[in-house]
Amino acid sequence: MPQQVLRLAVVGVRYPPANRWATGQTRPVAVMADVPALEPGAPMTRQDGAETVYLGDFALVLHSGETRHYIDNLQAQQPSVWVAMIGDTVQLLTVDPYEGEALAGDVERVVEALPMPPQTMARLQQFVADHHVEETFYKRKRKPATSPDDPRAPRVLSDDEKWVQSRGRAGHPGGKAR
Amino acid sequence: MNAASQADAATSVDASDQLRAQQWGFLARVLSGAPDREVLDALGGLTGDGTALGNAYDVLAQTARTTSEQEVRREYFELFVGVGRGELLPYASFYLTGFLNERPLADLRRDLSAMGIARAEDRHEPEDHIASLAEVMAGLAEGTFDAGALGCGTAGEAGFFARHLEPWVTQFFDDLAIAPSARFYRPVAEIGRIFTDIEMRAFELARDGRRPAMGVAAG
Repeated sequence: MPQQVLRLAVVGVRYPPANRWATGQTRPVAVMADVPALEPGAPMTRQDGAETVYLGDFALVLHSGETRHYIDNLQAQQPSVWVAMIGDTVQLLTVDPYEGEALAGDVERVVEALPMPPQTMARLQQFVADHHVEETFYKRKRKPATSPDDPRAPRVLSDDEKWVQSRGRAGHPGGKAR
Repeated sequence: MNAASQADAATSVDASDQLRAQQWGFLARVLSGAPDREVLDALGGLTGDGTALGNAYDVLAQTARTTSEQEVRREYFELFVGVGRGELLPYASFYLTGFLNERPLADLRRDLSAMGIARAEDRHEPEDHIASLAEVMAGLAEGTFDAGALGCGTAGEAGFFARHLEPWVTQFFDDLAIAPSARFYRPVAEIGRIFTDIEMRAFELARDGRRPAMGVAAG
């Protein structure tokens, strides 16, 4: 299945502990399409004890099978990149809104939907244009026995009724063929 | 297949039954699973005479020689296994009712248990699969199985055939012949069609009390 890897720079804010028993927390606040020449962990600004730090650059993997979800993301008012962190480490970047939502279900994890940079948006749009295969939803329903078309299964299955793999390597290698 | 000698009436019945058992056994073998190289080589060595059945065997031998084990396995998968379902559903119940595991299967199971026949443990297909019915017919022809215990006019080989195979087997072989993936199985369908036709007519003649023309079945 075709994939594409983008590198995105993530900026986070380190909040000091709220009381003497608590530990501090780091939350992602921005993603950048251009990776700056900084070491991961380099401080950027400091305001009221909250320290903005550069967390490093991370891989954002685009999967050709998820293009429908990417389209939903791109059609949103504010397309987003979901950044998941556990403690001080960035665990995953995704532009699949449903994966982001699923990640947010874990209380251990800090997940933020951050505005998608315009360059990333353009590359995502290009990826979708290259790989998206439109699939129409077909709801199978039981036909009543009195239906004019025979509700029984066909005796001989014709080629166009067969299941074929329409996604991934065994289907359309370019992802575009229909 | 050798032509059965019809000269000696006493032995020709046994010999023809033996050949009928071989025919049913052949159908059971190729329909229960894809034949391996050994079977394909054996089939490739067959020669038929000028009859319709003989011609079908010639075509089968030709196909068996030119095809590979892998291709036949693929073809068997497409025809009888498939993703979701194969191109054909070779079950009596499906052909008679439109659904699997319906009353025809229950009837068959009752008859088989009366005959003392049970499904082998490593076989997971229902008993109304065409291959298992062919195997039962082979056993009946050979005399290893006995259908004498069946009642309601279905006693004997002819009764078993009339009850469990005759209503649908012709349709099944016709379908196998036109299935989109069938290549090796097309001559098999032809053989099955001709052979079951001969069987049907022979059983009919036997029932009418005339001398059964079973020697014809040997092809």
